[in-house]
Amino acid sequence: MTSFFDVLIGGVFHACVLFLVAAGLQLVFGVQRIVNLACGSFYALGAYFGITAVNWAGAHGAPPWAFLPVLLLAGVLLAVIGPLIELLLRTVYKRDEAFQLLLTFALVLMFQDVLRFFWGANPQQLGNLSMTYGKVTLGEVSFPTYNVLVMAASLAIAVVLGLFLQRTRYGRILRATAENREMSEALGADVRWIYTTVFTLGTLLGTLGGALVVPTAAASLDMPVELVVEAFAVVVIGGLGSMRGALVGALIVGLTRAAAISFYAELEVLAIYVIVIVILVLRPAGLFGKPIE
Amino acid sequence: MKRTRRSVLKTLGTAGAALAAQPYLGFPAFAQNRPLRVGIIAPKAGIAGTIGECGLRGTQFAVERINAGGGIAGRKVELVVEEETNPKDSIERLRKLVLQDKVDCVQGVVSSGVSLAMGAVAEEMKALLIFWDGTTQDGVKETMPNPHYVFRSTDNECEAVMASLLAIKYWKGKFATIAGINPDYSYGRNNFAAFQALLKKFGIEVKVVAEQWPKVGTLDLTSHVAALKAAKPDLIFSSLLFADLPIFMKTAHGAGLMDGNAKFAFPAAGFQHTLLKKEFTPEGMVFGHNTLYFDVANPTPLQKSFVQEYEAKYKDYPNWEADRAYFAMEVYKAGVEAAYKAKNAWPSIDDVIGAMEGVKVQSLGGPGQMRKDHIAEQTFYQGLTTHKNRFDFATLGQVEKMYSDQLQKPAGVDFWKWIETAQIKL
Repeated sequence: MTSFFDVLIGGVFHACVLFLVAAGLQLVFGVQRIVNLACGSFYALGAYFGITAVNWAGAHGAPPWAFLPVLLLAGVLLAVIGPLIELLLRTVYKRDEAFQLLLTFALVLMFQDVLRFFWGANPQQLGNLSMTYGKVTLGEVSFPTYNVLVMAASLAIAVVLGLFLQRTRYGRILRATAENREMSEALGADVRWIYTTVFTLGTLLGTLGGALVVPTAAASLDMPVELVVEAFAVVVIGGLGSMRGALVGALIVGLTRAAAISFYAELEVLAIYVIVIVILVLRPAGLFGKPIE
Repeated sequence: MKRTRRSVLKTLGTAGAALAAQPYLGFPAFAQNRPLRVGIIAPKAGIAGTIGECGLRGTQFAVERINAGGGIAGRKVELVVEEETNPKDSIERLRKLVLQDKVDCVQGVVSSGVSLAMGAVAEEMKALLIFWDGTTQDGVKETMPNPHYVFRSTDNECEAVMASLLAIKYWKGKFATIAGINPDYSYGRNNFAAFQALLKKFGIEVKVVAEQWPKVGTLDLTSHVAALKAAKPDLIFSSLLFADLPIFMKTAHGAGLMDGNAKFAFPAAGFQHTLLKKEFTPEGMVFGHNTLYFDVANPTPLQKSFVQEYEAKYKDYPNWEADRAYFAMEVYKAGVEAAYKAKNAWPSIDDVIGAMEGVKVQSLGGPGQMRKDHIAEQTFYQGLTTHKNRFDFATLGQVEKMYSDQLQKPAGVDFWKWIETAQIKL
């Protein structure tokens, strides 16, 4: 039983990280119809910027317990790059999807050099800060309190995002724009502003995810590509453009990976992509996506 | 002085005679004036970036000392540094160093994947190449049994052999189940296999309860740690060595993997030693610093001055890649100078190679030599970790020192046969 909970927690933790990135990807695609490959770069930027912010705060006398608010603030502040990138994306909204993909892929490569320029090529870490809040122990199962906070933050973001999209007036406008941009525009919605806010929100999910996760891992130049590959598995399983799909897809990928590592470590990647292929064959739109017309 | 026809002819005649005699004089002017150019190929980025950087600092230290002492056989040393990336691009840089920069010797390389491919090219190009690390082996199988131009480091498995011997020495009879978490390439796989082969050799029956093979650069090891914890092993053996190692230690500590009585053997942990903070690195684990332990008691004056200079300059403490790089430069220096002395003239590349075979040098971590089959022998340091020190990271409390002739196969012998038949002392 103890083993089961250890594996379960490992899987859920990974799923929470994946959810944050996949949610940004889904939100942007759902409303703007752009597959934003650069979401992984926002995640990496959040991680690097989070390290810089924590080190800066530490050097200016901030106590160790304050690093979590510092990381949150760093993730939020960094989302200011969202509107700037969105300005660039405006040039390809009406172009073919291939152009959009190429442009966001170019952004991935450019951001890699931006990271290299500002932070160097070597992986960066935050020492033992993740242990500042101690451990949670339940019988023989124990895990860092910080990991629980990351999982809670991820869950809270999922709930707030769901409520925002379903229950608020602006959320309804966003969904209406996602359904039919022209009609929404004809009814008076400021689509240009909506696109800017949606893209900024998508960016925020990535930067916040990166900043929150970095104390338990490391920031490296390979992060963006590695994460995007997994995020795409989440999106295919959950359904492109569906927030519920992002949550369920992330849980399926995270738990499958954890189970594969426990039972037969060599099957870690294979197990995930078997599910992806099954979904693509039997339910091409994903578990919660709309059927492709 | 009045210039006459006779004096001009005399000057020309003297110059002509000098030029004609040049091959027999032994140290032509150009050889003594032009610096010796040494090409360095080392990783500067990615997971091995910090390791390459440390090696480069070892080389720079060696070159500063050499140049301050008058150079190699009177010629100053000049470095031309190139980046080690994937095998294909790294080989292109080797070609550039040899053909365009016209270096006299190439040193460096950390990755076995690169060295495997580069060794054959260097032989073909007749370029003198001394590897810092990595090997020219496919796993433990020698791919270049009789190299002429290529010299390489000690077998990568030396680290695993020493850690295995120490684990057996300290804990024989105290473990019945083992687990491994090792990088998913030949280094990790061979190290874990070597550990099991040595357990068998010493009659220790164990059950392998978990094997984890995270791919290099995996930065979320939560599920791997959960799997290890679920298997409840008595001993965990890990050859993790890059940025993933501190993450593993933090995750393992957070998950309570280190709270029980499990024992840990980490043969290559020294590459990340300053990142392995006391808060999450247990005491009493077998920890490999290998060919350079920066905090050894009674260090040689050479090591002492290097560590002091390194600390002052970089606010850090060196790992064993600095020693590998220093060793490579010293072997080259000793080879050139011995060949020069024997010939009383500037030596050819073959003269240098001949002189390097069997040469003994003092490296940063202790004495070493280059075997006749072009494989290095060096001094290794491993031991049990302690928190009783002036640093914020774990160091060695109990230090064991072994010479690599006890840790690696002799020339021409199969690695697994050697483990079976060697007279290995604990």
